[in-house]
Amino acid sequence: MNRKRALISDTFKVKKRRNGTQKFGAVNDGDGPTDVRSSLEYLMTLFPRKLFDDRLPPIVMKHQLYSVHDDKTLVDKELNKLRERGELLMFQLGFDSDAFGLVFASDYKTKVLAGEDGRPTRATVERFLEKLLCPCTELSFSKDKMLREFLFTDSEITHLVKSGVLTVRDAGSWWLSIPNSGKFTKYFLQGRKAVLGMVKKSKYSEVLKAELEERRTTSHVKFHMKYHIHDIVGAELVESIPTTSGALLRCVES
Amino acid sequence: MLGFLTARQAGLDDPLRLRRAESTRRVLSLTLNPDREVDRIHGNAINTIDIEVIEGRYMLSGGADGVIVIYDLENYSGKTQYTCKAVCTVGRSNRYVHKFSVETVQWYPHDTGMFVSSSFDKTMKVWDTETLKPAEVFEFEDNVYSHHLSPIARKHSLIAVGTKDPKIQLCDLKSGSRIQVLQGHRAEVLSVRWSPRHEHILATASADSKVKVWDVRRASGCLFTLDQHNGDKTKAASEAVNTAHNGRVNGLCFTADGLHLLTTGTDDRMRLWNSATGENTLVNYGKVSNGSRKRLQFTVSRGCSPELVFVPCESSVAVYAVHTGALVTMLRGHYNNVDCCEFHPDYQNSGHFFLRPFTFYLFNWCGVVTAVRAIRNVQSPWQANEPLPPDR
Repeated sequence: MNRKRALISDTFKVKKRRNGTQKFGAVNDGDGPTDVRSSLEYLMTLFPRKLFDDRLPPIVMKHQLYSVHDDKTLVDKELNKLRERGELLMFQLGFDSDAFGLVFASDYKTKVLAGEDGRPTRATVERFLEKLLCPCTELSFSKDKMLREFLFTDSEITHLVKSGVLTVRDAGSWWLSIPNSGKFTKYFLQGRKAVLGMVKKSKYSEVLKAELEERRTTSHVKFHMKYHIHDIVGAELVESIPTTSGALLRCVES
Repeated sequence: MLGFLTARQAGLDDPLRLRRAESTRRVLSLTLNPDREVDRIHGNAINTIDIEVIEGRYMLSGGADGVIVIYDLENYSGKTQYTCKAVCTVGRSNRYVHKFSVETVQWYPHDTGMFVSSSFDKTMKVWDTETLKPAEVFEFEDNVYSHHLSPIARKHSLIAVGTKDPKIQLCDLKSGSRIQVLQGHRAEVLSVRWSPRHEHILATASADSKVKVWDVRRASGCLFTLDQHNGDKTKAASEAVNTAHNGRVNGLCFTADGLHLLTTGTDDRMRLWNSATGENTLVNYGKVSNGSRKRLQFTVSRGCSPELVFVPCESSVAVYAVHTGALVTMLRGHYNNVDCCEFHPDYQNSGHFFLRPFTFYLFNWCGVVTAVRAIRNVQSPWQANEPLPPDR
């Protein structure tokens, strides 16, 4: 659309733009269109597959994307679009009502079926996955829905829970979940606590991001340092401040 | 900016556009005003302020010690360094002063002859500004958290009162009696607000995590309850169905046109709702830290494009763009927790906006450029380039 007159909000840029080509501390340029899919793929590479013997699909937390992109509402909208197209699945991981895990649908399908190989429940799980990926934007299912829409019997639902694809939410409803993700949650929370502790113990409770990435990690931190840094910045547990020597992470007082 | 002025001069743009552009420019360049101060009368935390809408000249403030002060914001001294004087005070020596902390004060919307204050001493007093005596006292069984008079009401003069009791009382100013009770909440009502668009629509926020929108003409319950998941029962745990927030909801503010409603809660989130349908617009503001156990008074700009919301966040004020959720800036300057803030759209040479701190300073923020004279009369914008006359 060609505007003859400038919008007021464009004239007085609501976000102050820095002049010059050198943007100190900024990881990505805010000018281009937000490509959520490519940032998702980048974050997926940070996920350690070997740690879980390749049984888990790469999981990324939704708030890790907030640390990469500025505009949270836009990120949410893009994620919803991807979910509606059936390319992405979102899960309630259980430890925080706001923390959602994202997995590519194709990865999820391959890993779950690989895990089910040789088990008698394979057929049920396969049927469930077909119904799920066509496309489904829900995080949990009630008994009603399972019986009527998806035409599963009670015993089949038990099979699904046993195989880990569904987790109990309360009487008569289930969350969608990733099989064998308990270990993931445990290591994730442990690592998050350790990294936050590292930032807190630093002088003035702040540390340069580059320096934190270089630090030797204790045995508690099993994931890549960058994965944890994206997590704590996105969850607003630390503040990322641009400085002349790079981004600085400072603990948020709460 | 010059583009806007020329377009107005030539008649290409309508007057409102220039006014909006100037308001936006001022609001985006808000800084702490070094020249203006407000008299320090309160010895304690200031809980609430209100600026009257008719002239924008007088400001009321209510403190934790029960003291109410009226300030004159106009500067007739001719000097740039100016302290806003307190015109009168309902101090501890006044016979009718509130016994405990004053939680909400509000000017009568149509003139400054009257104001209403409510306090933790379980009373709400309607004061006569001239004599500083209460013309009417409403007594309640519990602490009064908040009250609100509709700014546009012509057909009724109801005051909505939110107390520790889950029932919302509607008191009539004309008859002096409690004429209606709205039932529906399950815990204390922390904030009530009339819509600036429809004089019968009332929104209430409660500690049971729910926000309900009522039409006071209806005998049966509320119109609707705001649901953060928009009816999608799969997103949250089953106890959290139909809640606006995952914690106590303690702040409510309508946008100036009344089409949207902003709510803040102790789950550190702020949400924007469509006030006609109750739909969550899912704008993500990020973490808006909120530790207040009482009402949080925050405000939305008026007459700017894009609209900005000013939310007190610990000891600074966070400024967000209402519809995109982006954090514009943080206004820092207070020494202690900020309790509430109020926006004043056009005041003398700059858009002022007053903050209330948990300690007793009232700070005053202004646009940096004061050389361009106020666009008071938008019919003749070419006066904007005149230099400031020396006596103002």
